[in-house]
Amino acid sequence: MNTLGTLVRYELLQLVRDTRTILLAVVLPAVLLPGILVIGNLTTEADEERVRDTSIGVAFLGSDSGWARSLVERAGTVPDSLVGDPLSMTFHEGPAADSLIGADGLQLLVRAEGPDDRGLPSLEVRYRASSDLSRSAADRLSARLERVRVALRDSLYAAGGLPVDPAAVLPVRTTNVAAAGREAGALLGTFLLPLLVAMMLTGGSLVAADTLSGEKERGTLETLLTTAVSRNEVVAAKGLAIALVALVMTVLNVANLGVWVGFGLMEIPAALDVSLTPGGLGALFLLLLPVVALLSAVLLLVSGWAKTYREYQLWFAPVFLLMLLPSAAAALPGLELRSAVVLLPVANVALAMRDVLAGRGDLLFGALAFVVTSGAAVWASSAARSTLSTERMLADSAADRAEFLGGPALFPYRVLRWFGLMWVVLLGLSLAFGERLGIRGQVLVNLLGLFLGASVLMLRRYRLPVREALALRPVHPLVWPAVLVGAPSGFVVGIGLAEITGVFLPVPPQVLEAFGQFLLPEGMGLVQLVLLLAVLPGITEEIAFRGLLLHGLRRRLKPWALCLVVGGIFGLFHVSLFRILPTAYLGTMLALVTILTGSLFPAMLWHALNNAVALLPVAAGWVAPDMALPPWAWPLAALGLAASFWTLRRVGAGYPGVTRPEGGG
Amino acid sequence: MPPALAAHPMTPSPMDPSRASAPAAPLESDAPLTVEVRGLTKSFLEEGRGEVRAVDGIDFTCRAGEVFGLLGANGAGKTTTLRMLSTVLRPTAGTARVLGHDAETDGEAVRRSLGFHSASTALYPRLTAGETLDFFARVNRLDPSKVKPRVDALIERFGIGEYADARVEKLSSGMKQKVAIARTLAHDPPVLIFDEPTVGLDVLNAIALLEVVEELRAEGRTVIYSSHIMSEAERLCDRIAVLHRGRILAMGTLDELRDATGLHYLQDIFVHYVKAAEA
Repeated sequence: MNTLGTLVRYELLQLVRDTRTILLAVVLPAVLLPGILVIGNLTTEADEERVRDTSIGVAFLGSDSGWARSLVERAGTVPDSLVGDPLSMTFHEGPAADSLIGADGLQLLVRAEGPDDRGLPSLEVRYRASSDLSRSAADRLSARLERVRVALRDSLYAAGGLPVDPAAVLPVRTTNVAAAGREAGALLGTFLLPLLVAMMLTGGSLVAADTLSGEKERGTLETLLTTAVSRNEVVAAKGLAIALVALVMTVLNVANLGVWVGFGLMEIPAALDVSLTPGGLGALFLLLLPVVALLSAVLLLVSGWAKTYREYQLWFAPVFLLMLLPSAAAALPGLELRSAVVLLPVANVALAMRDVLAGRGDLLFGALAFVVTSGAAVWASSAARSTLSTERMLADSAADRAEFLGGPALFPYRVLRWFGLMWVVLLGLSLAFGERLGIRGQVLVNLLGLFLGASVLMLRRYRLPVREALALRPVHPLVWPAVLVGAPSGFVVGIGLAEITGVFLPVPPQVLEAFGQFLLPEGMGLVQLVLLLAVLPGITEEIAFRGLLLHGLRRRLKPWALCLVVGGIFGLFHVSLFRILPTAYLGTMLALVTILTGSLFPAMLWHALNNAVALLPVAAGWVAPDMALPPWAWPLAALGLAASFWTLRRVGAGYPGVTRPEGGG
Repeated sequence: MPPALAAHPMTPSPMDPSRASAPAAPLESDAPLTVEVRGLTKSFLEEGRGEVRAVDGIDFTCRAGEVFGLLGANGAGKTTTLRMLSTVLRPTAGTARVLGHDAETDGEAVRRSLGFHSASTALYPRLTAGETLDFFARVNRLDPSKVKPRVDALIERFGIGEYADARVEKLSSGMKQKVAIARTLAHDPPVLIFDEPTVGLDVLNAIALLEVVEELRAEGRTVIYSSHIMSEAERLCDRIAVLHRGRILAMGTLDELRDATGLHYLQDIFVHYVKAAEA
């Protein structure tokens, strides 16, 4: 503990003495940021005042300009209290044309059209949107003319004999029953965590940039590593220093804004007047702790990876955005903590914090969010520790050796990068085009373009032997009946598991219904359905995931971890949150099938059968979409699945280089 | 061949290339054994050369109160050997023990027992000289009650009192050198490693450093001193190992090496062994 304290103390001491960093990264932003806000506010106010106080020049066009002028004059007499903004007008005589708007004090043209074929005249307000004065004048005059129009309409109703005041016909009232504090809390909850994360990342980066990458560059890290401190102590101390500075900088930034608010130079919107109990405040603080730990560990990891200060700075921008993205989860409409999002670090805390602020905290899922994000922090710390391996810094590591050799030796160290990139592309396509592509478009783009295309690129780039990399090996004849039994059994067991997990992570029925409609569009024939949604995924997704991904990771993970990682990554590629767990389950089973048999062919058939069993009976109208399975189906399916894996284990040749998992059947 | 002289068992003796030499013999002394290296090997991959053995199965031992010299040209494997000994690098094969602690399995105890100084190990520029000594004494787990007296003693010994409160970045190179040596001694280690310590130093600072090493020997510490400068090794080392291409070609006292080769100057002796190995 003493050593840890010494490391943290001296880390902070060196930061405090770095005058240039303190001035540029702490003092200057503290002064400049609120200053910029104040100047921005003052400028906006002055501009609004100028627009409001300037007399608007109006000219008239059309066959009935006298009538138009009388209406505009009447609009000028509408009380400001009814329309909000004042309006002072000057009427221009003489020629009027669009080209003159914006010149010589003319901001608007009002054209009066004569009666149409129903005998009703109309007005047109013409303005120039590129001029703020003209645009604002059009808005204000239109609001007033609307009042005049309603008054004229109502007088006509009355003259026509309407027995009641038109405003009294079916009045609709909306009433907000939420307490003001909770409404404010819900609003604050949407942006509180991203704001804090941004502040903590920039604050923590002051230490992180210098702490490992900077020390490597200066040569002090080797000095430190020849002392009696352990790598764990170095990581803990530096992580702690980053977290402390991140928190202090966040507090300083908030306090700084508070000072400016106190001086009346900035205003907090009334909508953010949050009321929070001490318990709620404590819960928010608790939820923030794993986020701080994770951010610190990630910054330390980046610093450990970077070999120089400059390289750290290059990494920082993408990492900043990557960490900010999940923290904004609470701003996405319809996202609830009681869903698969609870498994997503930081995003789950964002939702939990929003719920606490809105006065509807969820203890069970809040705790789960805490545990998941803490787990991610532990993982990131462990990864940061591995960067302190002096082998990597001073000599060749296994990865460097692979880099040196290139080709197939390098592939295991690059395969996750490829799948990371593929996931980003998939997510981008999904966000950009969404369901507009339709199921056929998605199949074409994702399966053929992305999965198959990237697989071919990986095979070529790393000169991988195709038969070995894709495990294209013949299998024992008994494997096929085992797959024929196992695939439908696995599907039914999966439904059972989904029902159980649905208790904890309920999927909204409307989401399921929409997904069903998307998968089974009207007009798609059964043959096309089987080809596009069963056969093609069975081939392309297996080539990518149980082929290349599994091949790349086979020597880096133990068999069970290999199955779970390959399955988990497969799940993450099914971007919709409620599909992640079921597809991860399928992916894990398929990885196990491949490891047991040593071949990709059984997994291809299993995958295709699984999809066919899931879609075909409903699409063909053999069963109703909401048909419930009889109770005996679950034990029968479990038995079928167990028998299938038992057979695969007995007759499967095993995947070369992978020890077969114990108890695979 | 005199009994105390040992050529490396993997290397044919330069005196008789056809005959494998005897294993390393310990120094004839009653002083306790402090460092024991057996079959130490480290392989790297190098561009265009493939796998290269930077250190190739070397053996040596050191005793308390001894300056043991590792003499070799640049790239001979001196720094790699010392990095393995100080647990900075993991050996590909073999063992290294310091005061009985295994470098691979008990790295922390090894590091606590030794001080490592090299031209490439830097100091924290924004700490003062006094803070530097305090920091390294503490992180090397010196008893907290002994830290201040130890720091004061080192400041006095190295004559850096006037600059104790000045930041390292403001010190002259000579003064930085003194602080760097003092920080190596901050936790009072029984074994010291000096890896090419005079590289980049002017003559006066280099001589001052050699005097410190002599003092450390007199205090009963073990010093492993690597260098490619023959005069330094001649002056300082009780025993010398000639290292070339990762192998120890010969090992013994200077007199033993002279007797074995019939040559007087260490430079000639060194060239003799290297040429014989290259032949």
